Amino acid sequence: MNNHGMKRRTGLGALLATALAAVPGFGFAQADKPLRIGFSMARTGMLANATPSQANTYELWREQVNARGGMDVGGVKRKVEFVTYDDQSKPEQAVRIYEKLITDDKVDLLLAPWGTPFHISIAPVLEKYKFPMVGNTAASVALRQVKPGYIWFPTSAIPDRIAVELVTMLKQNNVKTAVVIANVLPFTKEIKNALEPELKKGGIDVKLSTDYPPDIKDMTSILTQAKQANPDAVLALAYPGDSVLYSKQAKELGLNSPFQFIAIGPSDAFYPKAVGPASADGVVTIAHWSPRPEWKGSQAFYDAYVKKFGEDPDYLNSALAWMSLEILEKAVAKNGLDKEKIRATISKDTFETINGPVRFEGVQNVITPTAFVQYQKGKLQIVWPKSIASAQYQPKKGW
Amino acid sequence: MPWVDVLLSGQLLFAALVTGSLYALVALGLNLVYGTMRMLNVAHGDLVMLGAYAAYWAFTLAGISPLVAAPVIAVIGGAVGYGLYRGLFRRLLGGAQVDAGRVEANSLLLFFGLSIILQNVAALAFTPNNRAYQYLDEVVHLGNVSMTGNRIAALAIAGGTCIGVAAFLSRSVAGLAMRAVIERREAAYIVGVDVDRVQWSSFALGFGCAGLAGVLLSMLEQFSPFSGFPFTVAGFIVIILGGLGNLLAGLAAALLLGAIETYGVALTSANLRSVLLYAVFVAALVLFPNGLLARLKGRR
Repeated sequence: MNNHGMKRRTGLGALLATALAAVPGFGFAQADKPLRIGFSMARTGMLANATPSQANTYELWREQVNARGGMDVGGVKRKVEFVTYDDQSKPEQAVRIYEKLITDDKVDLLLAPWGTPFHISIAPVLEKYKFPMVGNTAASVALRQVKPGYIWFPTSAIPDRIAVELVTMLKQNNVKTAVVIANVLPFTKEIKNALEPELKKGGIDVKLSTDYPPDIKDMTSILTQAKQANPDAVLALAYPGDSVLYSKQAKELGLNSPFQFIAIGPSDAFYPKAVGPASADGVVTIAHWSPRPEWKGSQAFYDAYVKKFGEDPDYLNSALAWMSLEILEKAVAKNGLDKEKIRATISKDTFETINGPVRFEGVQNVITPTAFVQYQKGKLQIVWPKSIASAQYQPKKGW
Repeated sequence: MPWVDVLLSGQLLFAALVTGSLYALVALGLNLVYGTMRMLNVAHGDLVMLGAYAAYWAFTLAGISPLVAAPVIAVIGGAVGYGLYRGLFRRLLGGAQVDAGRVEANSLLLFFGLSIILQNVAALAFTPNNRAYQYLDEVVHLGNVSMTGNRIAALAIAGGTCIGVAAFLSRSVAGLAMRAVIERREAAYIVGVDVDRVQWSSFALGFGCAGLAGVLLSMLEQFSPFSGFPFTVAGFIVIILGGLGNLLAGLAAALLLGAIETYGVALTSANLRSVLLYAVFVAALVLFPNGLLARLKGRR
């Protein structure tokens, strides 16, 4: 009983203290009030397993910014507070959330949700409210159709560019024959559509090209055929779920082509854990980042991420998320919260990021090259293109 | 691949058996609970998911082999099933007279709620990250068939458990009592079968099977808190194909499903997987509305 009374009294005291503290603070509301930054994230539903590497990166950034006194808003430091909702893996839900964040929660800034369809869905909302947002985890040729203005895409992993670069890389490594297997989901389908004509143009003999559905449970029949074709390269245009299925069954069947490309999945920390470091070694995948001394802050970001979460950041999604935060931070430091000025800055300035300089023309980043990384001794290294490579490509020696 | 090669391929047979036996184990648990109590456990796949997490944590945190953890997790699953039955479902069921329609509808809602809660609690507690670990993945060659150790283990355990349960149902008194309740509930009650005991034991056995299936799954593929639902769907297809409540036909149906997934895909295209699956499903419903083996049973 006594205890209860105590609690109530302390509670009242705290309330009073807060009320009193709020009064003198009123005049400096801007500096004292935390900066509210909103975003939606797929925390539940079929895509939820893909989003932690991005959400974690946001979390790490907030922690670091607040530890150094807050985000620089036109010369005034303000602590950062997140306003976030679960979009349940539904783009239409994300649209409602961004409307609410802007009109009801009245957040000061926005961060991007996860994934291409989500970015494309909310672009009209940003346009409607003239609210600039730097995108990150979106990659599609369809992005070029998004009206430029209030959204930007720092990625260089656009399917048609991937096709061109990949074929150039294959030719340089003496690949004469290839097998293409592709998940029918949009991103990998786009790559496949762009890749087939490129391979033909490049004189690479495609021994087998086939699609499979996202809910595939067994690849034995496809991979048996692939093995019979005995290609120099297997181009597995997989999503994270089937990237593991492919690797495990390629190992079982002894599909030991020296060039093993897996589109999405291997850049995430779960992949080497799932297939084992020895099997992961030599796998080539899509990403354009890796810690490099030339890219200021890249090693620090890597170290901080590993320290906080106990696993590697996703070389694609975490890096993109961090880049988008760096760009936003610089634009806000320069302009405060004036949306039109922020928009003008992002549209024309060149930004130094952990992935090197970034500059946008329309919605696209025109500096970062399309690149590929390879697992070498348990670490992802950029092996293509030569201009930013952190290691030399090595043929994969079995699984 | 020419179709003769496809049909004679040992590699495909192995793949079909692994997939089929896992489906059989998942469906067996689902069917036990449905058969004895007319309860549609739509959270069954989520129990599989929890079993997978249990094996994952045991392996990554304590280094316990999934093969050692498997029986423990199955027993824990069984205990949870028993507890749920005592605490929640016994009241729903009453005695000999079960209004099947009411129980089906109520249990559907209850389990649907349970499914959502389990998924979201798992996402909160374990994060929605993909999880997987590497265990027993050396490749073994047998003739011209290559197999990874974990797939052999999964096949042996799932297949062995299904055969064991089938033997239990057709040989032991308790198993016969279980089948009696499934087939003629009132009659079983009248001749003195302890229906309550049959019910809690099928609940425990069903949940135990789900946990065990989860352990095997965790050795083979990666999973997240939302990986369970496809197994619920696969389980339902199997038990509807085999006939609701007909446990042995369910095992055959699961192998058929595994065969469609491998041979069907090999003979046509991977893109037709779902088409083939549901075509067979619809055809079976039209031609054998009471399940694949219903005619056989009728004759007996």
